[in-house]
Amino acid sequence: MVVTGFLGSGKTTLVNRLVARFPESLVIVNELGEVPVDHVLIENSTEKTVALPNGCLCCHLRGDLEETLMGAAMRRRRGDIAGFDRVIVETSGLADPGPVAQTLYADPALARDYKLGPIVAVVDAAGAEARKVAPEIARGQIAAADVVVLSKIDRAADTARAEREVSEINPAVRRLAAKFGEVDAAALLEAKPGTDHVFSSTPVHGSTIRTFAMHFAQPVRRELLQQFLSTLVDLRGADLLRVKGLVPVREGLVLVQGVRHVFDRLRPAREGEPALVFITNGVEKHEVQALWDAMKGLA
Amino acid sequence: MKLLAQHTLNGFGGMGEGMSMQLARDGRRVLWLAHESAPKNFTALDVSDPRAPKVIVQTDLPHAQMRSNSLEVAGDLMAVAYQVSKFGLKPAGFELFDVSVPERPKSISFFDASGPHSRGCHQLWFVDGKTVHMACADPELQPRNPKDDQVYRIVDVANPAKPAAVGRWHLPGTMESDDAPPPERLPARFDAGFRAHNTNVYPERPDRCYLAYIDGGIMVLDISDRARPQLVSRWTNSPPYHGFNHTALPLFGRGLLVVSDESVQDNAADWPKLVWLLDARDERHLVSVATLPAPPLDAFKSRGGRFGAHNLHENPPVPGAWRSEDVVLGTFFNGGVRAYDLSDPYAPREIAYFVPPAPERSKTGAIQLNDVFVDDRGIVFTVDRGGGGLYALEMNI
Repeated sequence: MVVTGFLGSGKTTLVNRLVARFPESLVIVNELGEVPVDHVLIENSTEKTVALPNGCLCCHLRGDLEETLMGAAMRRRRGDIAGFDRVIVETSGLADPGPVAQTLYADPALARDYKLGPIVAVVDAAGAEARKVAPEIARGQIAAADVVVLSKIDRAADTARAEREVSEINPAVRRLAAKFGEVDAAALLEAKPGTDHVFSSTPVHGSTIRTFAMHFAQPVRRELLQQFLSTLVDLRGADLLRVKGLVPVREGLVLVQGVRHVFDRLRPAREGEPALVFITNGVEKHEVQALWDAMKGLA
Repeated sequence: MKLLAQHTLNGFGGMGEGMSMQLARDGRRVLWLAHESAPKNFTALDVSDPRAPKVIVQTDLPHAQMRSNSLEVAGDLMAVAYQVSKFGLKPAGFELFDVSVPERPKSISFFDASGPHSRGCHQLWFVDGKTVHMACADPELQPRNPKDDQVYRIVDVANPAKPAAVGRWHLPGTMESDDAPPPERLPARFDAGFRAHNTNVYPERPDRCYLAYIDGGIMVLDISDRARPQLVSRWTNSPPYHGFNHTALPLFGRGLLVVSDESVQDNAADWPKLVWLLDARDERHLVSVATLPAPPLDAFKSRGGRFGAHNLHENPPVPGAWRSEDVVLGTFFNGGVRAYDLSDPYAPREIAYFVPPAPERSKTGAIQLNDVFVDDRGIVFTVDRGGGGLYALEMNI
């Protein structure tokens, strides 16, 4: 599980609640000592924007977080540390959670030991003004989320503004309310990455973020779908903040999940409304639809 | 170049820049590869049939905050570099293995270079079975800038059980103990450090080291006295270029030096990163005469990941390796692997290339070919830095 959220939104409070409920968790935090729990494995990860001391750009492929995850897996396998059945990564307030998802999709060695759980964005119901400090980061966090926890609703005189903000950016996201830090932890952990919800194109005013869905009336060829996604990544991968949803292929439904350049393999899915949801940076629905129509026509 | 086989190495296909061939006692050709990062240390493949490479051994690193990256095999001995991601960690240095039975590499000794200012060894050259030349920190030295920790070091391994440091050289001004002033650094966004990278020594000139020194250019060193290497000459292209000189490959019969840069930033943000041809007839006066025609920037810069020069096939003087003074091959990350005809050093020509598609689940969305080794059958082996593993190619040139 990835817990993201703007500075001061209540991420640490939420992580502490989760840890109390599910002690067999490995917690990776960006800042030392943010999660003071004694019966939980604590790993410390300090993502650096400079080359050192985490190896230099030239010769080090993995970031600190990836290295920490890999190290934990190696140590668990050898019995150097106690087992854990879940990892909670608390990102820094100014982090884009997308790369964390990318890490797990794109590193086969890591993917052997870890499967991405839900991306949880903690949104301070009373903190809309604070998010204006770095609005694109705050929007990116909400856009990438599978679950939004609206925190501090006990303090917010009006939660409608935060609700509206979330709806504009990621209308399909599951929302949970947290009062005094209390949230339905089980519901949170049961949340799955991806979505079977559908929503229509929703421009966000004053932002380049676009959200829209593509619908599929008939089953499509799996190979065509893969080629379409591959071409889309080649052309605009950097601007695909999140692509997720269910697509009918001849063998049944498949779950599509992608973040920027990286897509998970197509996985069989049981049920849900078939549609592919896009959250993009400036990529319009008609552009994606035109690509699909052209490829379908030539196939 | 025609693809014969690809092998993703049991799902651990992110490879570094260590490729070395062993002609095993039982007649097999064994290709040893260093991994880019944890959890794997090195992998050996039987490539006797290049159409069907087979993994025969794959080993793990002790922890995730280290990497091997570089290795070399000389006879039945293999040296593996260990670099750590944070100063002070261990193991930092290199390990020697007996690989007489390739399936069962046996550790013989470890050369410790760890220290509070050390990230250990990034690259090593080991072709004579007696001497390791390497880019490695020396705990006796304290760099003024932490990026400058890895210097040129010579280690005698004639007794493989007891490696002994016998010499070193670093760019004056980079260590606290130096009298010389610190070198002027490149702008922060290109500052990769004044430190050693490739450290090539050939039997044609056993008294010379052809040393690439990242942002410091390349050097010809006189190592006739191994305890006190002396600078013969230095050539640099940065500024105005963006540093990171990676390899200096001498072509003795031609009086040429082939110098590669390394691209280290995605989307060609540090372009141009090129391969340079130097007239080295007078080793004291190195003159740039050409660059190898680079793949078109517009076609590659946005494909994902890095684009630009990196490793060359270095004509290693070992059995089983292809050697040429007319054709040089290099890897260019998403620009693939490319071969150049140097018959006319003033007008080098590209004569072959191979750019595979992005490996499955590629992080960058594009191939990132990292290193290349050509065997004496003309088989080109190249590896991906992401997850693509090994590609075996047939070269018809």
